[in-house]
Amino acid sequence: MRGFFLILFTGMLFALLQSSVLPLFLPPNWRPNLILILILYLGLSENLSRALIAGLLLGAIQDSFCGPSLGLYVSVYLVIVLATRVLSEQLNTESPPLLLLLIVGGTLVQNLLIGFYLTVFAETAPVLHVLLPAIPQQLLTNLLFTAVLLFLLLRFQRRFGYRSGLAGLNYQSKRHGT
Amino acid sequence: MRELLIRYRFLLLAIILLLATVILYSYNLRQKTTTTFFERSVLTLAAPFQLSIDGIVDSITDTWRNYLWLVDARQRNLALEQENLQLRSQLQQVTEVSLQNKRLRKLLAFVDDLDLPALPAQVIGEDASNWARTIIIDKGTRAGLHNGLPVVAAQGVVGRIIKIAPDSSRVLLITDASSAIAALIQRTRTRGVARGRGDNLSIEYALRDANIQEGDLLVTSGMGGVFPKGLPLALVESVKKDQFGLFQQITAMPTIDFSLLEEVMVIVGEDR
Repeated sequence: MRGFFLILFTGMLFALLQSSVLPLFLPPNWRPNLILILILYLGLSENLSRALIAGLLLGAIQDSFCGPSLGLYVSVYLVIVLATRVLSEQLNTESPPLLLLLIVGGTLVQNLLIGFYLTVFAETAPVLHVLLPAIPQQLLTNLLFTAVLLFLLLRFQRRFGYRSGLAGLNYQSKRHGT
Repeated sequence: MRELLIRYRFLLLAIILLLATVILYSYNLRQKTTTTFFERSVLTLAAPFQLSIDGIVDSITDTWRNYLWLVDARQRNLALEQENLQLRSQLQQVTEVSLQNKRLRKLLAFVDDLDLPALPAQVIGEDASNWARTIIIDKGTRAGLHNGLPVVAAQGVVGRIIKIAPDSSRVLLITDASSAIAALIQRTRTRGVARGRGDNLSIEYALRDANIQEGDLLVTSGMGGVFPKGLPLALVESVKKDQFGLFQQITAMPTIDFSLLEEVMVIVGEDR
């Protein structure tokens, strides 16, 4: 339970960073989506129910910090968590660089789904003018921040991972795969 | 049947959850100006943190700048530069206050010209995504604000409030893709709809025969009922007429640089 709240706390911290700190230093297209990185990490390392619940809640938190409607990121992250779960059964999830590979796929899927939802449901097709040209920058910045977070996580995990109940890539949650 | 359910339980769960989230999203699309309990709670919880982060970042930036100057001062002449540093620091503070004063005066003069009651607010956050264009301001229901109120700055229209919490509000900027404002070209009175495109605006439904030139000022038409008439929106950047078609293709650059926006005014009511 402590690990679960730690995940939500991290999600909230990431949302605050994305809305209040990163805009001071980075233009919109170069701001990473830290919550997406967290979602992919959860999909790889946590069990299905925990990853799903955390994914839905993190989506709702992100919806509260961006755009006009609640539900967009809830749905997008649900698809990403499910897809990561399906993929994680076929891949070697203990490999940290896998997260870097998944972030590329995750960024593309996220942009595709957001574009689809906003065009089909909200009829805001001009958003594609904003989304599509930003994909290369998003990929680069997400990769860079994932590499930094991965480095920090692996260090943090060796020190506190077991005690905090936080799952990891080298040492997965004991509930992974259940 | 039970065996079938058990065998495909992952697929069924995925489909049910996906449908539920899509329905939730569709439902919320119709309730754009309603702030849900969840959103209100998150915004309420986040507002003090955002205010603190804003304060901390300001102090860190100040300390960093002053420290750099101190290192520079030591390299030249420690004693003299120490004094110089203090003076500079004071001067910087005075300059900052003076600049803020100038900005607020401009803002007040602008609102005075409007002759509408308005409330000043500070920008404390931006959108957490790269595709939506919203900002967070430090005033909410406790200050008497509500959804739909127009937000302006000295240079023109900023946007309108779409989500509200007791001490903070989210403002949809005019450059967001879901923003559309009834507008007109000030010089020729040609009507159109200004739709956000991320960094600039596109003017839709401006008739092909209308005389529109680069540099023309686009103002609100007052037709939508949200923004008062005549507020500056953008300057026409490019005009393109296709061989066929009823309308011109126009792009315009907002009169406000949103990346530098610090203070805004929320227009809280009708005529004084």
